[in-house]
Amino acid sequence: MLETIKNYSTFIDKANPLTKILLAAILFATVIFIHNPNVLFHLTILMLIALLCLSGVKIKYLVMLLIFIFISGFISSLYMIFYGEGTETLFRYGIIHITDESFVRGLHITMRGVILSLFGALVIFTTKITDVFYALMIQLKVKPKYAYSFMAAIRMVPIIVSEYFQLRQARKVRSALINKKHISGFKSLKSTIVTLLSQSIRRAYRLGIAMESKGFSDGSRTYFYKTSLSRYDLYLMLIIAAAIITAVQIGTVITPFDSTDAR
Amino acid sequence: MKKGNSLTLTDILITVVIALVFAVIYSLWDGIYTILQPFGLHLNELVYGMWFIAAIVAYLIIRKPGVALIAEFAAASGETIVLLQFDVSLIMYGLIQGLVCELVFLFFRYKSTSLMAAVLAGIAAALSTLPLDWYYGYLGHLETWNLALMFSLRILSGAIVAGWLGHLLYKALKETGVLKFVGRRADNSHEGL
Repeated sequence: MLETIKNYSTFIDKANPLTKILLAAILFATVIFIHNPNVLFHLTILMLIALLCLSGVKIKYLVMLLIFIFISGFISSLYMIFYGEGTETLFRYGIIHITDESFVRGLHITMRGVILSLFGALVIFTTKITDVFYALMIQLKVKPKYAYSFMAAIRMVPIIVSEYFQLRQARKVRSALINKKHISGFKSLKSTIVTLLSQSIRRAYRLGIAMESKGFSDGSRTYFYKTSLSRYDLYLMLIIAAAIITAVQIGTVITPFDSTDAR
Repeated sequence: MKKGNSLTLTDILITVVIALVFAVIYSLWDGIYTILQPFGLHLNELVYGMWFIAAIVAYLIIRKPGVALIAEFAAASGETIVLLQFDVSLIMYGLIQGLVCELVFLFFRYKSTSLMAAVLAGIAAALSTLPLDWYYGYLGHLETWNLALMFSLRILSGAIVAGWLGHLLYKALKETGVLKFVGRRADNSHEGL
């Protein structure tokens, strides 16, 4: 599916999924400890450049995604902009009280979310999901029964989704005959979830028994797909490290925000 | 099948599938959550509890150690797969919430299916990520009334949406009969469904 939206592939496609996940975790810890909005501003721009150049995804899909990321990031920090503490009032209406400090702090939280989303998008565009589980089994020695049940379960998601639509259509056809309560509202939500869950449990049980009898559960095994650590992992780590260091350095020189501490 | 408390492949598969059903629901729920956010009054916190429900339902069904953690991790990473949006913070939050639910269930020795266990786990999960939110979202710099509102709404949501609703779903699932051979009950069954 990814191939249809991609123009070209880069070295990140060849990097190990575990490296990407580790880097994402490091990035998460890093943005929590950065309190200077100027640094985050530059890091956001660098991550944006990284996504645009290194993901290889067609630009129209990227633009749609970016609009979504920025808007949802901004919305999720509105609580801070509206109700944060601060002294220099910018705007006041009823209980909404926007101050200079809370506004900067709100944008700071937005940028944190955006940076993580941008890197996340880069990871998702350059990683095959099955590779993640093979890397977990081969490099991290995760027990095959965990990895294989995840992979088998992921294959069931399309079935679950199509079952949901089938259920909706069935309800529509019968709408004249059954109580309205079962078509909309809480009762319908409950019966939808229960139907989907019970069908899925039944299917998973059967598949689980079949897989266990074929020896997927334990024992040593060999793998058809290979994942390994390579120099591409090093390149990726260096790029992220360089981005963070550059952002910290430029953040003290070019300062779009007046304050240097969002707290 | 193996006896005792250890997880078999079937147990894990069922847990992950339950979690992925919830991942689909989470993804839809994300829309509701985002729509409620702009008011800034933390109305979104009222639906926050939905995010722990996978762990609670999966535990009530399987009742073995590790299930809540796997379910919450699978649901969080499943959301990544469904939404095509990899979000580390999401997965971390999922892991912490799953771990806390696990501790509550350990306290009940993985035996109880009472409403009490579900509600307690919901409340614990609601409390568990507040410290992370505190640092990530600078909650200490919110007006006090707003902060109190947020905390109480989230705990309420954990108890009602995750605990009570999760338990309700479990009871309804039990009535359908699919749970007869699943999890702990599997020990004395030799037939398929």
